[in-house]
Amino acid sequence: MSTPTLQPQVSADVTRVDVPASPPPKRRRKRRNPLPYWLIAPALVVMLLIHVLPAAGGVVLSFKKFNLFTFRELFGAPWNGLENYRSILLDSDNPLHSGFWGAVQNTAVYTFWTVTGTLVGGLAIALLLNRKMRGQRVARTLMLVPWIIPSYVVAVLWAFMWQSDVGIINKVLVDYTHLLGHRPVWLLGPNTMWAIIIPSIWRGLPLAILIFLAGLQAQPQEVHEAASIDGAGPWRRFRYITLPLIRPLIGVQLLFGVIYAAYQYAIPTVMFGTNPGPDADLMMTFIVRQSFSNSLYGLGAAASTMLMLAMLVWVAVWYRVFRRDLEVT
Amino acid sequence: MTAFALSPRTRKRLVNRGLDVLTWLVVALMLAPVFWLVASSLQNDGQLARGSYDLLHPTFTAFKNMWKTVDFERYFINSVIICTVAALLATAFASTAGYALARFRFRGARPFGLAVIGTQLIPGSMFLLPLFIGFLWIKQHLGIQLFDTRVGMILVYTAFFTPVAIYFMRSFFQGIPRDLEEAAQVDGCTPFTAFVRIVLPSAAPGLVATFVYAFLFAWDELLFVAALTEHNAETLPLGIRLFIGNYSQYYGQLMAAGVVATIPVVIAFFAAQRWLVKGITAGAVKG
Repeated sequence: MSTPTLQPQVSADVTRVDVPASPPPKRRRKRRNPLPYWLIAPALVVMLLIHVLPAAGGVVLSFKKFNLFTFRELFGAPWNGLENYRSILLDSDNPLHSGFWGAVQNTAVYTFWTVTGTLVGGLAIALLLNRKMRGQRVARTLMLVPWIIPSYVVAVLWAFMWQSDVGIINKVLVDYTHLLGHRPVWLLGPNTMWAIIIPSIWRGLPLAILIFLAGLQAQPQEVHEAASIDGAGPWRRFRYITLPLIRPLIGVQLLFGVIYAAYQYAIPTVMFGTNPGPDADLMMTFIVRQSFSNSLYGLGAAASTMLMLAMLVWVAVWYRVFRRDLEVT
Repeated sequence: MTAFALSPRTRKRLVNRGLDVLTWLVVALMLAPVFWLVASSLQNDGQLARGSYDLLHPTFTAFKNMWKTVDFERYFINSVIICTVAALLATAFASTAGYALARFRFRGARPFGLAVIGTQLIPGSMFLLPLFIGFLWIKQHLGIQLFDTRVGMILVYTAFFTPVAIYFMRSFFQGIPRDLEEAAQVDGCTPFTAFVRIVLPSAAPGLVATFVYAFLFAWDELLFVAALTEHNAETLPLGIRLFIGNYSQYYGQLMAAGVVATIPVVIAFFAAQRWLVKGITAGAVKG
């Protein structure tokens, strides 16, 4: 009553537009009610203003010659065609060409290990926690803790632990357990990749455990019992009952895990600064550094666009593989 | 060898006990870095630089000094204000949008739902610069300062975390029976007043969980605040880096700052844990 605009009658003439397409009996149900549009309006407006419009602007900038000298012209900067794309993709004279491909390769390695480690580890731990055990609830709650630690705290903490001479990790590996004969350098050179992958897995595990555990608990117990009576061992029950049932959960986590890992920025940046070095430079650190430290805005925008395209391809591939699981859920 | 001599029942019990031990080992391993964070924050900077720990004699000096070494209070207050307001707004916007997606069949519902997921596909670096330019443009043409202000950051974070919040709220609304609203409408409520007076109160746990979820994400954000602030609206991730520089190695204070930066999210998480876990798993299990 206080909101007269939301009365259903208002929509009467709006409805007429799409009535002919729908069969007569359904006409009344298809009457367009303006309420849902009012309900999504605030979210739609902020998403348009902060996500869609600027992202479109980013694509436009990727075709512009936009750097420190042309910055004052903003979107009036001269067009550059596909030059930004060509120079980083193909131009071997451009010093950034190899940096870009290095970042692509690093991001692929980082994403593969982070996602694999998180999903495999998460499922294994979820299976452990799904057993009847004293203190089961305490164990499950404690397992969630790493997920709440902010990623910048994760990064400073692990950088502190990775220190070669006085870091606790080398102390445990070398001094206490003698697993390694020498002290590896973690924060410089090839090991830097592991220095960011391992904390990422550590922080990602709790969420994976949580989701897998929910999936495991939702499984019908009778199926397991029946299979057990028929003589199926633990491995076969896992392979032929558990795995197919949690396949949709693996799918969902793969989809978002890959995107999240490919867009990782906080952990390498906080750990190593704007330039993590050739062994741990990811796409995002590369793009942000070229855009903001080196003022190559157009080039950064082109690299961002390609990163997004790569993720669109990933979503398409994912959809082909997991389409049937979407229908189940 | 002896294992084969044992009866199947004893063997099963042994395996079970072994797996129990393994579980607790994994728990310990997962918590070890957190323990190390807290333990290190209770040592002084000199000890940590040498790597010599005295766990039996903790000291709170790092927690005292960190506020003087870096103007940590400013970063902390900025984080609290920006993240709280942004999470509240995101929850408010998401509650109406999530309700629309959960209850109404309307033209454009599916494209809107896809667009909500689609926003997650945009890398931050893609719209960071245009957003910065937009801020400059608004300053020039409308005279509203958004760069380096809390209002600007609140605006960005609200938009940022509205999409995840929408999916969260939608799954909560799907769990509320329709009869409530239908009864309310029979009693003379409009659909909208039924939503405000009947549905929202019964979705209170969902609102809390969504708020906490958005808050956790906002608290973690680094890229945008680094580019869109300079001094006034800087938040914790920018402040915490100042403890380690070329001339200063305040490791104890760095760890103490890490603990302090984590406390608010730990409180928020455990206050809403039950509903939060429900929201996350419902979203994932139902898809």
